[in-house]
Amino acid sequence: MTRKISFLLVFCFVLFGAMAQNIEFEEYDLDNGLHVILHQDNSTPIVTVSVLYHVGSKNEPPGRTGFAHFFEHLMFEGSPNIGRGEYFKIIQAAGGSLNANTSNDRTYYYQTLPSNQLELGLYMESERMLHAVIDSTGIATQKEVVKEEKRLRVDNQPYGSILEKMLANAYKGTNYEWAPIGSFDDIDAATDQDFVDFYETFYVPNNATLSIAGDIDVKETKKLIEAYFGEIKRGTKTIPRPEITAPKLDSTVTETVFDNIQVPAVIQGYRMPAQGTEDYYALQVLTQLLSGGQSSRFQKTLVDDKGMALAVQAIPLGLEDGGLFINFALPNQGYSTEDLAAEVDKLVEQVKTEKVPEREFQKLKNQIESNFISGYGSVEGIAESLADYHVYFGDASLINTEIERYRKVTREDLMRVAQKYFVPENKVELTYRPKSEQEKPEDTKVKKEGGNR
Amino acid sequence: MKKLFIIALSCLSLAAAAQIDRTKLPEPAPARNIEIGDYEKFTLKNGLTVILVEDHKLPTLGWTLTFNTGPITEGDKAGYTSIFGQVMGAGTVSKPKDVFNEEIDFMGASLNVGSSSVSAFSLSKYKEDILKLMSDVLFNPAFPEDEFDRAIEQSLTGIKQSLDNPDAIAANIRGVVNYGKDHVYGELVTEETINNITMEDLKQHYAKYFKPNIAYLVIVGDIKKSEAQKLVKDYFGDWKSGDVQKETFDMPDPVTKTNVSFVDRPSSVQSVISISYPIDNKPGNPDVVKLSLLNQILGGSGLSTRLNMNLREDKGYTYGANSSIGSSRYSAIFNAGASVRNEVTDSALVQFMYELNKIVSEPVTDEELEMAKNSAKGSFARSLEGRGTVASFALNTELNNLPDDYYATYLKRVDAVTKEDLLEVAKKYIRPDKANIVVVGKAEEVAPKLQQFGEITYYDAFGNVVEDPTKVVIDGDVSVESILADYVKAIGGKEALDKVRTLEYSTKATLNMGGQSLELTRTVYQKTPDKFLDLTIIPMMGEQKQVYNAGEAKMIAGGQNIPVQGPQLDAMKYFAILFAERFYSEVGFEAEYKGIKKVNGKDAHRVDVTIGAFTAMEFYDVESGLKVQADLGQNGLYTFEEYTNYDGIMLPKKLTVKSAALPVPIQFVIQEVKVNQPIDDSVFN
Repeated sequence: MTRKISFLLVFCFVLFGAMAQNIEFEEYDLDNGLHVILHQDNSTPIVTVSVLYHVGSKNEPPGRTGFAHFFEHLMFEGSPNIGRGEYFKIIQAAGGSLNANTSNDRTYYYQTLPSNQLELGLYMESERMLHAVIDSTGIATQKEVVKEEKRLRVDNQPYGSILEKMLANAYKGTNYEWAPIGSFDDIDAATDQDFVDFYETFYVPNNATLSIAGDIDVKETKKLIEAYFGEIKRGTKTIPRPEITAPKLDSTVTETVFDNIQVPAVIQGYRMPAQGTEDYYALQVLTQLLSGGQSSRFQKTLVDDKGMALAVQAIPLGLEDGGLFINFALPNQGYSTEDLAAEVDKLVEQVKTEKVPEREFQKLKNQIESNFISGYGSVEGIAESLADYHVYFGDASLINTEIERYRKVTREDLMRVAQKYFVPENKVELTYRPKSEQEKPEDTKVKKEGGNR
Repeated sequence: MKKLFIIALSCLSLAAAAQIDRTKLPEPAPARNIEIGDYEKFTLKNGLTVILVEDHKLPTLGWTLTFNTGPITEGDKAGYTSIFGQVMGAGTVSKPKDVFNEEIDFMGASLNVGSSSVSAFSLSKYKEDILKLMSDVLFNPAFPEDEFDRAIEQSLTGIKQSLDNPDAIAANIRGVVNYGKDHVYGELVTEETINNITMEDLKQHYAKYFKPNIAYLVIVGDIKKSEAQKLVKDYFGDWKSGDVQKETFDMPDPVTKTNVSFVDRPSSVQSVISISYPIDNKPGNPDVVKLSLLNQILGGSGLSTRLNMNLREDKGYTYGANSSIGSSRYSAIFNAGASVRNEVTDSALVQFMYELNKIVSEPVTDEELEMAKNSAKGSFARSLEGRGTVASFALNTELNNLPDDYYATYLKRVDAVTKEDLLEVAKKYIRPDKANIVVVGKAEEVAPKLQQFGEITYYDAFGNVVEDPTKVVIDGDVSVESILADYVKAIGGKEALDKVRTLEYSTKATLNMGGQSLELTRTVYQKTPDKFLDLTIIPMMGEQKQVYNAGEAKMIAGGQNIPVQGPQLDAMKYFAILFAERFYSEVGFEAEYKGIKKVNGKDAHRVDVTIGAFTAMEFYDVESGLKVQADLGQNGLYTFEEYTNYDGIMLPKKLTVKSAALPVPIQFVIQEVKVNQPIDDSVFN
């Protein structure tokens, strides 16, 4: 009982010191199902126009992996009114910037323009939602571009295959098994009709969120949105939402990868519950404990005190239907990956058995609060977060209140989730070694893909 | 009722849809005036200038202290400014690094120290706490020895890695050819200069430059002016000013004729090309805006620049070509460059020269100018969203003595630029005929075709002039046979070598990296005609074996047994046959004489030895006949030194292996040699 009271006290203290985040927004649906979120901030004359399509690599049918990411490229090919290769030029000529990204769960497009070009942004996004050109010329062009991208960003990237290897081992048998970059064989094997079907299934207003943030007049903006997006027909196909239930692993899965690297690495991944769950927030706090800042346990123990590691970082991968708690460690000269992995394990074990001291726990909360508050300095960031919160949790207002969920995490929760998730049945361990240690030519073509751009 | 409403709505949407014409791009609305936020400026009695930008949107606050040190020539201690911040930032006299870092993290704050700056960021509620830490490290830094040692080790590792990076080499040589090795903009950091640095140098730097009278404190965020003034006075008011002697800056000599500086990197499959020269383009120069528009058209951001349209889109020589025109109150650089495939290096340079000449000789198009202006205005508008932008404008205005309305009138000045203006500045600043072309690449394949662009000078990665690596001097008096015979004679003579049936030698290597010392042992067992075992023991990583036995080879490491095939099998064969130089042709090694080259400053005969798909370049010292080096491509560069007599056989006591797969070169030193001691055949299984 006494213990409980002291907890309440801590909790109150946290709340007392809490900062209010207040990002105002409005949201509604068009008749065709398009969800619209508007955030007005007139302090700088710029506006971000973004569209999130709720389709990621997990929605790809088996044998068609890499489609979601491929579409991220294809969607810049143009429309009946926008010539091939013109998309970038038009935005640049208007003084704007643009980009897109694809994850396992969704695909996101955004452009940031001078605010007097809001209508151009709406026009450009509505054109590709209404009638993007999906033809063999565009498909052929983008195949080359995507291959070049993979060469540059994945194959030539040291440790570039981590995501692919982790997912393949941890989520075998589910649609999280493959990374967004997917397989070229699948893309090459696809017919033009496959691409058209994918477009008609997923690139429809009822699977999209239009999120706009910046220097806008809400009333005027709503009118323009209706004009540009209102005429787009609701999709008629069923949108597949595969269920992801990864079966328990027998015990820790290990794999050695030979890569173009000089420093070996050890990467441990534990399967995590879906983002948004209570346990997920506790695990996020653990990430902060292990590798947030110069005084974090990994940095202090393994890099500074023991000098065993060049770097150790916890990099959580939160997903809509699961996720991975990833610890990435580079050994210093003179230490093996095995030794370093054992030390990382020790620190992870410690969390299961020893309660985090009060002051250290308070530090974690303070760091999370600081990150949360400083995180929304740009309209680009706000537009993306609003869309993500809506799509993942059905609640865009979490942009202001998600911090409460972190505040609910207790020190007991940290021990509990460590005991629950940091177990061999959840664990994948990858060891990366320089290719020079492996001389057999056939094996040097170990398939390496991953990343999500 | 509801239904009616929906019908009404859908009519509305139809009506609205009818109004838009999708065949045309929508017209922009009238542009909103871009307002640049206000800032406050005040100066303390000790000379500290404070710039304050109040921004209450988020409850956060940043403090950045910048010292206007001017250029700092580091001389034979080059590199000390880059480790300064790490050492000074590692705790204070009263707070060791651990405690100091924990206190920063406890607030979710951050604090950074550099050679001419100290900065801190936190939630505004912690403003005093973070100021306490910031001022503590500013006035009472501990400069701990262990952090100094760590910083030196890390720099040495960093240098070794950058030596393999062609972009880093090109940047170094660009500094050397444009400014000279003794100039602050041309000096290079080497292992030697890093080892010259002492803790005293860092302390002197601190004592010399960390003075309020050359400092600017920029405060951005959630704080009122009155409070800022009070805090600044409380924490920085007692700071003593001092006389700071700044260096004078020497302007570089202008480039008078285009020439080529080449760094040979035999393993390159791409050449890094750079065309550069110093320019005088100070902030506030009336040409600054025109030059930035000109650069945007030539090779600025995006895919539609002239360089990208030509070299990337049209020719497919590169993934990206670009240019930059710097601005500096000392000396700026014009630079244009790309990484291109070996075989198109000369063609790519032709296109670079074509584009540079074109922009000097004819006006840009209206469309190009319009696009460049919009792009400049758009990125200016987007930059204003950043909280630090107004403050950085204020600081620039201050440091460069710009007119107060310099940034406020920026857009107007962009609008006023004409095609004629751009042609005029192009003629004034773009000088393809007076440029330093730097190429880092495979000389043998690339260099001969570059003479058309100017005289070629060869450099090593440290900016020292070296001999033409492509020059082949054939010594008519020698042949492969005579070189190999001389070598066999030099290491003991054929008769002695023929008597050797087994050879076993053990070596040790010590690795020093990242503060760690590690000892490797490598033992080689050889038995005629073709049995070989290389057993390397790496502490904590265990044994690694490479075995060759009568045409079959394998590698055993970490419990894995990997058969070796293809070119690697040929490479193993190369190592395996004992004193194969005696009879290269008989064992199927094709040897060819390739002329005289310099190896570590001495003439050596190059003999290329090919076994199947594997080629080794061997170098035999002209004077002694000994094999001094073997370049085995991917398998590394082997250097042999200190040939020593072991039972009548001369073996190199020291072997240094350098390879892209190794973080640092490794030197193996022979500990013991056993000649003709029985070795059981099972060793080679």
